Amino acid sequence: MTEKTFPELRRKLTSGWWTSNRHYVQYMVREWTSLFVALFSLVYIYGLSLLATGSRSAFLNLLKSPAMIAFSFIALIFTLYHAVTWFYLLGQVVPVKIGKTTSKPWQALVANLVLLIIVSYLVIWLLVLR
Amino acid sequence: MDTATIRVTRYRPETGPEPFFQEYKVPYRNDMVVLDALNYIKANLDGSLTYRWSCRMGVCGSCGANVDGTPKLTCASFLHEFKGRTINVEPLPNFPVIKDLVVNMEDFMRKLVKIKPWIIREKETPPEQGEYQQSAEELERYQQFSSCINCMLCYSACPIYGLNEKFLGPAATALAYRYIEDSRDQGKNVRFPIVHEMEGVWECTLVGECSVVCPKGVDPMLAIQKTKILGATNALRSILMPRGGR
Ligand code: SF4
Ligand code: FES
Repeated sequence: MTEKTFPELRRKLTSGWWTSNRHYVQYMVREWTSLFVALFSLVYIYGLSLLATGSRSAFLNLLKSPAMIAFSFIALIFTLYHAVTWFYLLGQVVPVKIGKTTSKPWQALVANLVLLIIVSYLVIWLLVLR
Repeated sequence: MDTATIRVTRYRPETGPEPFFQEYKVPYRNDMVVLDALNYIKANLDGSLTYRWSCRMGVCGSCGANVDGTPKLTCASFLHEFKGRTINVEPLPNFPVIKDLVVNMEDFMRKLVKIKPWIIREKETPPEQGEYQQSAEELERYQQFSSCINCMLCYSACPIYGLNEKFLGPAATALAYRYIEDSRDQGKNVRFPIVHEMEGVWECTLVGECSVVCPKGVDPMLAIQKTKILGATNALRSILMPRGGR
């Protein structure tokens, strides 16, 4: 007896796969916001290089330009979104066990944000305010 | 009795290469699920409709399909949840379709075997010496990961697997982690190279949808990240303490 075989149907993911549900969209936004984190770092390194080569006024002008202010604002929002989603994930993946209670993801989010503010303040204090 | 409109994907390679939708009207009571509707269609409207099922109670894991765009067990999806809408029932995404709703699961089966889903001992002790004992806390470390019913919904929800079939994927890693975390198991050295190879856990970019769709409360996303952490600390340890500090 010979067995007849038929081809299987192979379906490919289309490039718009991530629009098919809310979670995928959230994931994609989280990944894309990292681009702004990187972009901001690059612009900032460029600004610092201006400062380092002695063009203090050029550096200040860069910071004062409306485009830079607008960009910083957008970058801040995206960076916050990126930080918040990752801190939350961190709480999901490595919950801390204290006694019999295990930490919830939102607690990790709050703890990490507070830590971030404290560390940022310390750095600013050390470098500028002191 | 209400009537549900079900649109089922038909793929009949013996008659044509293109899949198409076919619509059926199914009368239903409030306690009926999508699988009941499929059974109704097969019994009363169209005997050629092909799909898998067995237990109809969320235990066997064979009735998965894309219901209304989300991977679900058809035996756990109530028809009344979709009241007033046409219910699309498609074969599980990311798997090759053999016929109608039946997908080819060989790739998944290979991966399950690959991670060696059994307790590995350095030296087996004979049964007369008693069982390998375990405390309640030790059981708790892996218990949720042992509830998997191999329904493959998580693979259908995973775009990484959709883009790269070689990815070890959610359920297989969850099962590997179940044994890695089992205090009776001594097979870490065997399993680590498997889960940490190129297409292993490091392909995962934390989309997290596997854990959302799992009908059994398994959290494969967590298992994958925990496996990454274990692998990273292990590698670090072997660099810092090359002579096998434990
Ligand atoms: S982990 Fe959950 S979704 Fe994945 S195969 Fe197992 S039971 Fe199904
Ligand atoms: S028929 Fe067994 S899980 Fe649905």
